[in-house]
Amino acid sequence: MLKIIRIVLQVFILYLFSLIGSWIVQILSFQFPGSIIGLLLLFGCLYFKIIPGQLIKDGAGFLLTFLALFFIPATVGIMDYPEFLSWVGLGMVLSIIISTTLTIIITGKFCQYLERKLLEKEQIE
Amino acid sequence: MIALFMIIGTIVLFYAMTFIYKRFTYPLLIPIFSTTVLLVIILVLSRIPYDTYMSGGKWINELLGPAVVSMAYPLYMHREKIFKYKTPIILSVLTALFSGLISITIFSKLLSFDDHILLSLLPKSITSPVAIPISEAIGGIPTLTAVFVIFAGLVGAIFGPVIFKVFHIDQAISRGLSVGSASHGIGVSKLAEYGEETLTMGSVSMTLSAIFGSFVCPLFALLI
Repeated sequence: MLKIIRIVLQVFILYLFSLIGSWIVQILSFQFPGSIIGLLLLFGCLYFKIIPGQLIKDGAGFLLTFLALFFIPATVGIMDYPEFLSWVGLGMVLSIIISTTLTIIITGKFCQYLERKLLEKEQIE
Repeated sequence: MIALFMIIGTIVLFYAMTFIYKRFTYPLLIPIFSTTVLLVIILVLSRIPYDTYMSGGKWINELLGPAVVSMAYPLYMHREKIFKYKTPIILSVLTALFSGLISITIFSKLLSFDDHILLSLLPKSITSPVAIPISEAIGGIPTLTAVFVIFAGLVGAIFGPVIFKVFHIDQAISRGLSVGSASHGIGVSKLAEYGEETLTMGSVSMTLSAIFGSFVCPLFALLI
């Protein structure tokens, strides 16, 4: 029971960070996801030891475990777009498959090259 | 009352699908995909409009913001490893962002998609809670983006292991960074099977690609 209360309180703290992020975006009136500002703020607070990691650890763990669940209401919105089940829809899906596959190959190969160079440099030093 | 029913229904269905996925681990059974398909079928068959569903769904949706903020925690925990590999990490995430943006733009032009569709496709490799506001900001259709993001995630989870084998991507860091920055959370959840280091790099690249993407996508959209 105590653990549940702790998680709820910690989720509330994380929610505050995301709210502050949205306010900042609104005040500066530029189009940007407020939650990313909240993420950067929280990282800064943790890094400069303004708040201890313990204060949000369980809440963050909880939210990240059920991350997939929070996406569902948005994805169910596809029901309002039946045209997705068409040739154009199929074209979109194929484009995504090819584009994402290419991205993984290019990034993976490039990263492996960078990693090898970093290792060589370390060995020389 | 209806709202509460929708919330509980979504959670119960998701829980059941997670259980089934753990039992069979067949990639297409990934809970985010199977739950969505089932919910859409149930709602359409019982003639419940999306707006009615969202009277409850919006409360679940509300937790996406704090969930994104939570990613600061693993980032903080692994800060030393991240700082050690900062150059390959940053360069790889940027490479992934641009390979994704450029390739999807080429395909969209070849297949002559509507501009709204291309704009909705651009943030496909970024985690949904960030991709959706980006899509809104650049004039895409947020709901379409939500679905495109899932497809991009499934590609990493399903084809990732095959790509690693065929193209000899065999280092933990490159595996984590490539799938994390191309297929965000859904891809990263698959990386757990490759061990702690791959998983960490996956979540780092997913977070960084969300941060960089928030700046790069709107700028790239201006060029189209």
